[in-house]
Amino acid sequence: MIVAFVATISFVLIHLAPGDPFSAALENPNVTEELRDDLRRQYGLDRPLTEQFGRYAAQLAHADLGWSFSHERPVRAVLASALPNTLLLMGVALFGSFALGILVALVQVARRGSVIDRLLDGLSLVLSSMPDFWFAILALLAFTYWLPIFPVGGAVDAVMHDSMGFGGRVVDRLRHLALPAFTLTILAAAGVARFQRAALIDVLPADYIRTARLKGLTEGAILRRHALRNALLPIISLIGLAFPALLTGAVFIEKVFAWPGMGLTLVSAIGSRDYPLVIGSVIVGSIMVTVGSLIADLLYAYADPRIRGA
Amino acid sequence: MLTPIRGFAALSGAARVALAVLAAIAVVALFAPIVAPYDPAAQPDIVGAKNLPPSAQHPFGTDPYSRDVLSRVIYGARLSLTIGFLATMVSLTLGVAYGAVAGYAGGFVDALMMRVLDALLAIPRLLLLIAILAAWTRLSVGALVLFLGLTGWFGLSRIVRGQVLALKQAEFITSARALGASRRRILARHLLPNLVSPIAVAATLGVAHVIVLEVGLSYLGIGVAQPEASWGNIIHDGSDQVATLWWMSLFPGLLMVLTVMMLNIVGESLRDAYDRR
Repeated sequence: MIVAFVATISFVLIHLAPGDPFSAALENPNVTEELRDDLRRQYGLDRPLTEQFGRYAAQLAHADLGWSFSHERPVRAVLASALPNTLLLMGVALFGSFALGILVALVQVARRGSVIDRLLDGLSLVLSSMPDFWFAILALLAFTYWLPIFPVGGAVDAVMHDSMGFGGRVVDRLRHLALPAFTLTILAAAGVARFQRAALIDVLPADYIRTARLKGLTEGAILRRHALRNALLPIISLIGLAFPALLTGAVFIEKVFAWPGMGLTLVSAIGSRDYPLVIGSVIVGSIMVTVGSLIADLLYAYADPRIRGA
Repeated sequence: MLTPIRGFAALSGAARVALAVLAAIAVVALFAPIVAPYDPAAQPDIVGAKNLPPSAQHPFGTDPYSRDVLSRVIYGARLSLTIGFLATMVSLTLGVAYGAVAGYAGGFVDALMMRVLDALLAIPRLLLLIAILAAWTRLSVGALVLFLGLTGWFGLSRIVRGQVLALKQAEFITSARALGASRRRILARHLLPNLVSPIAVAATLGVAHVIVLEVGLSYLGIGVAQPEASWGNIIHDGSDQVATLWWMSLFPGLLMVLTVMMLNIVGESLRDAYDRR
């Protein structure tokens, strides 16, 4: 349902706009008007919009996203080769950011009101106000130009990768993954930490915490065993919310680091006015977000005994 | 109800400082023609004065077209803040109207309106905007504001609906109805004033969000078009040579982060004040 909705919206909007993939060739005097009309006919762009949409919908029903003009390959093939890279980036960032964010929140609440708490609070505020691409540019400047530790971009070393042994290839991949994954993780962790800190502080006045304290448990044990378990529940719903944010972040971060994933594909498709690829990326992105929130809902139902089995 | 004056009194110290910083940025943006040292679009010497690093004459350096980056950042503040403010106004109007109608109508209408909202919320806002903006190569700023506003009201309308649902049962609404007030009057005179607090929070955080979005889209080259200056397209102009033209990414970005952070501090403080009651 949602997929159909997204597809329709993007299709209508894109075709409302002036220009088509072949009007960019207008600047080239060697391309005649006949040739351009010919190309338009070949790709069916001369047909009425209703017919184009009908054909597009029929294709979509067969999971066929159309033909990418700029890559000269089916959209599905272009996206299929880009998707694993994006999933890798998002997966690392998802686990990394929740682990780091929850840890930071625990430290903050354990030392509530201290210098460390306030310092981390300020840091997470600054980071959560920072757009992904700008933080990525700063990281790029700092760690590839000023302190050249990491490679500038791409997923592997374009020249040397194929001649490396297995170990070398793994190291090469990790070195290229490090910066994009680091920036995405840190930014997402800031949001998680802010959320988790508030959730922990919310459960601290509860009766069962007082009971635990009266039992003579140490503050650390109370925090870890009693407070954290209950405060983890709201964080599961955050996973669903984190998905769109991670995907959005990935679009920008892939552009900055030339990471060959969906985001970079989408951005370059915009540049070459490759509609089928733009629509295809947006549809796949929306599916990812929908699946992400579905997983979060299922996790929530599993984790909360009160709704388990309901 | 949170009137502006009581709202200010409820703000934390940090939020008051943040508000002052925001006011300062707004004043600079407002008087951009007086404050900016150069014309932001002037290209005095495209060969000799391009890509200059920061100096006394050009504190933020110059760009590949020999334009003064400081002047562009100041004019960019004007545009980014205006876009943030206007787009949020559009979202607020739509979100409040939609949420209030759904919450007040209830029943089938409410259920239907909420399902539509679920579908809209499922599309990541950035992807939707990219799909829209990629189609039009040169979009006017007005249209950009409209699209940013049109894609920003879904979350707020949900909050408003929840509030209206809760308030509908309140005694003062029942008494207004008993006194024979019309639906429209109840909505406008009794319900909306009680929604001011959540709306104020959403508006503050909304402006911050729109600024980040606009800067991001302009960075991708599909937001504010040249020769107009926005924080995002200044960074875009320098993005081919990030390492050599570092001043073009650093300074506009710093100002943007400062603005967004101050807005977030004010928004969170407003929310705390409102939660506490």
